[in-house]
Amino acid sequence: MQVIQSDVVIIGGGGAGLRAAIAACERDSRLRVALVSKVVPMRSHTVAAEGGAAGVTRGDDSLQYHFDDTVSGGDWLCDQSAVEYFVAHCHEELVRLEHWGCPWGRQADGNVNVRFFGGMKVPRTWFAADRSGFHILHTLFQTSLKYPGIKRYDEYFCVEVIVDDGRVRGVLAIEVASGELVVIESPAVVLCTGGAGRVYRQNTNAGTVTGDGMGLAFRAGVPLRDMEFMQYHPTCLPGTGILMTEACRGEGAILVNKDGYRYLQDYGLGPLDPWPRVKAMELGPRDRLSQAFWHEMKKGRTIATPQGPAVHLDLRHLGAKKIHERLPLIAEAAHTFSGVDAVKEPIPVCPAVHYTMGGILTNVRCETPLPGLYAAGECASVGIHGANRLGSNSLTELVVFGRVAGEQAAHFALGAPRRAGSVLRLAQPTADRMLAMLRTEQGERLAAVRDEMRDSMEAGAGIYRTKEGIEETCRKLAELRSRYRRGIRLDDRGRAFNTEWLTAIELGNMLEVAQALAHSALERRESRGAHMRLDHEARDDVNFLKHSLACRRGEEPPRIDYMPVTITKSSPRARVYGGEGKQAVLT
Amino acid sequence: MKTRTLAIECLRYDPQTDAAPRYQTYEVPFTDEMSVLEGLQYIKDHLDGSLTFRWSCRMAICGSCGGMLNGVPKLSCESFLRDYYPEGVRIEPLNHFPIQRDLAIDQGDFLLKLRSVKPYLIPEAPKPVSEGTYLQTPQQLDDYYQYSKCINCLLCYAACPQYGLDREFTGPGALALLHRYNADSRDAGKAERMELVNADEGVWGCTLVSYCSEVCPKGVDPARAVNQNKVESTKDYFLRFVAPRRNT
Amino acid sequence: MKTYMRPMTGWWRRNPFYLWYTLREWSSFFLTAYALVLLYGLARLSEGEAQYEAWRASLASPGSLVFHAAALLLVLYHAWTWFKVMHKTLPFLRLGGRRVPDPAIFGSGVASAVVLSLLLLWVLA
Repeated sequence: MQVIQSDVVIIGGGGAGLRAAIAACERDSRLRVALVSKVVPMRSHTVAAEGGAAGVTRGDDSLQYHFDDTVSGGDWLCDQSAVEYFVAHCHEELVRLEHWGCPWGRQADGNVNVRFFGGMKVPRTWFAADRSGFHILHTLFQTSLKYPGIKRYDEYFCVEVIVDDGRVRGVLAIEVASGELVVIESPAVVLCTGGAGRVYRQNTNAGTVTGDGMGLAFRAGVPLRDMEFMQYHPTCLPGTGILMTEACRGEGAILVNKDGYRYLQDYGLGPLDPWPRVKAMELGPRDRLSQAFWHEMKKGRTIATPQGPAVHLDLRHLGAKKIHERLPLIAEAAHTFSGVDAVKEPIPVCPAVHYTMGGILTNVRCETPLPGLYAAGECASVGIHGANRLGSNSLTELVVFGRVAGEQAAHFALGAPRRAGSVLRLAQPTADRMLAMLRTEQGERLAAVRDEMRDSMEAGAGIYRTKEGIEETCRKLAELRSRYRRGIRLDDRGRAFNTEWLTAIELGNMLEVAQALAHSALERRESRGAHMRLDHEARDDVNFLKHSLACRRGEEPPRIDYMPVTITKSSPRARVYGGEGKQAVLT
Repeated sequence: MKTRTLAIECLRYDPQTDAAPRYQTYEVPFTDEMSVLEGLQYIKDHLDGSLTFRWSCRMAICGSCGGMLNGVPKLSCESFLRDYYPEGVRIEPLNHFPIQRDLAIDQGDFLLKLRSVKPYLIPEAPKPVSEGTYLQTPQQLDDYYQYSKCINCLLCYAACPQYGLDREFTGPGALALLHRYNADSRDAGKAERMELVNADEGVWGCTLVSYCSEVCPKGVDPARAVNQNKVESTKDYFLRFVAPRRNT
Repeated sequence: MKTYMRPMTGWWRRNPFYLWYTLREWSSFFLTAYALVLLYGLARLSEGEAQYEAWRASLASPGSLVFHAAALLLVLYHAWTWFKVMHKTLPFLRLGGRRVPDPAIFGSGVASAVVLSLLLLWVLA
């Protein structure tokens, strides 16, 4: 096996990974930074994010407001010190992206424009048409080409974070084109691998979003925090799950059921008028809107489509000009994938899994409990999203914490002594196990195990959960893990560009992450944010104002521990949206 | 209702066992909304797990799933099986690129070309973050925005016969991104990029076939980006006799 | 890992778009040939009326008529395709703050060609 030397290894080439790589090089241009990604960076899922990135900008906004919106949006499960750091650094990072060329939407006077987003008191979401993630990713990728210190390993699939004696030694990866195993030796590893939404059947996510980094950290002994909190985005195309951005609602779109009725007013988000109004009706938070859909479906008030129940997202009153200027990608996607002309007809939408609030346990410096291992972005749980993420906080999270992770990892690498002892010897067992997958003679088809997992997650760990439902999912996942262990038989037995092999490895990660999610959900006997229990409908701050920690126990289901939530300025209150208020001016 | 099936014929190539590509046909049951990508996924899940192809977002924004569908460069995620019924569809990897495996091509040359155009903002002077953003009016944004929509899907390279005939040519996608930065009001790097623009492998490799703009799924119009710069390049050529080029 | 490069032979035949493009490029031969015929006619004119009339008579031969018919079609095609791509050589044009649409550029190209041709015919007639 080839061994490559590096100072910092970053796994994942999306928004967080690219920002971390740039930050590490800016910290010290002599550092060798390896950017390892299973896809070429511009294919990373950051590219699909649409709505925008939040940062306090306007004179009538303040860090306190952004802090309050985020903490209440997270149903008080946020680590408030992390939120304080986050809101204080958003604006600076968005300006830096602009300096790097990001084509932010503008006002007539040339200043950057901001728009409303769900759960926000004041407009603070910077946007680039409705392709904000695409533009941020391409800006970061193209800017990263300026830094000679960044060495890219495109289409290298990382299968292990090598740990020895409680310290990070490097990573083991498969070079996809050849199937060769490669070790990259390094004292610092930053995981920027994204979320795990593909464990569910219906989701907005790309095929790559399989929780690989979470699996890597988990197997290295790092707990996964708050995994039970999976965000359902309320407006996605039925069937494919393709995202219809929250920005539609930020521009004034409304949601109606099969009777043409704006049903959100029945779920604590009303009254209707005046419209639009901050944090009310369609500008409420995502968890509330998805939950409202579920109730409408139970009452039989949703529209039946061939791909399942849906409601209507109506943009018609915005007019063709505004739609094509502010929401061009939405108009294209609705037309291509649903055959709907958004200017003339409402778009059928339903909730789909979108974002993983939980993830790899880190502190505000992006450090995991394992020295030398860092994490940033959706794969990490730095503590800013709590039980429910506000839209447009995650794109800014990538650049704020991507930078922190890169700088911290660089600092660590500069001070870390080089360890003796063969890294190859440490990597050999996993390398052998990976290669053995190609030789399995008896086993199931990959798709069978994968589809059963996804269906079980939808059934038991969906928008609303019950003890019986989650227990059945836990039982199913244990069964699937054991079937996976017994063997997956691959059709593709070769080494060169074997994507079936990689998909099977991803399935292993997904099963472990799904199990952490399901067990965390079972133990949390309350309803908070995106985790709703029909058998425990109230929020229980006495017993559950704490983070869940899933700790790996080999082939057994994970143990669920808890850790306290950091409360600084905002004590838990009732989480209220809707209500009276002035009419807001949409920009 | 009887399920309809479609014949999907795929190019197969395994570098470890094949001297040259061969073809394999699969019968795929399909519904009206199924994309060609979903057809390929059906094959991989249920018929032949060894069929290899790239994909990711499923919504024509990541640029992974490009291929030749009946000889035309397309994204498989936004092409639909119903449009190829009943004749069937032949799927091959993007033209003009080396085949790595089945429908996957080696993207390396594009990445080199991208780097060569210096696709990043080169400002007049360094600007600290504390000074805030540049001012850029909506019209100034409109001057370059279209060219910034490129998803790097490489359909334009598969369409461009000049790139196929001479791989030194920088190509439509990279040159469109070069123009995107030149046209950005915040950029001052035009002179630095001019050497590449003026070269044979720069804009002068283009003969206005314009098939690139025809196949581009995002309306970037790379043919326009390239050919506007022929005027710029000509101006630059003549101006250097009048005013010596400022050293960058 | 080894890769496989497909050959480019016969590329221009594989797609209708390329066929029309190749026709466009080859139409320039006819354009040149026609220009040469006109130049030759001009030379004959400078030699005197008898020479000029002889040249004009030779234009009426069946071979020449076929050539001229083909040349006319191809020159018109060449002009059409030229106007079609004309907007690609121009930066965005704006009138009163709004972008001039590409079909308008094509349209104005064709319109001026028609007007100028009619003018020329009128002058010569």
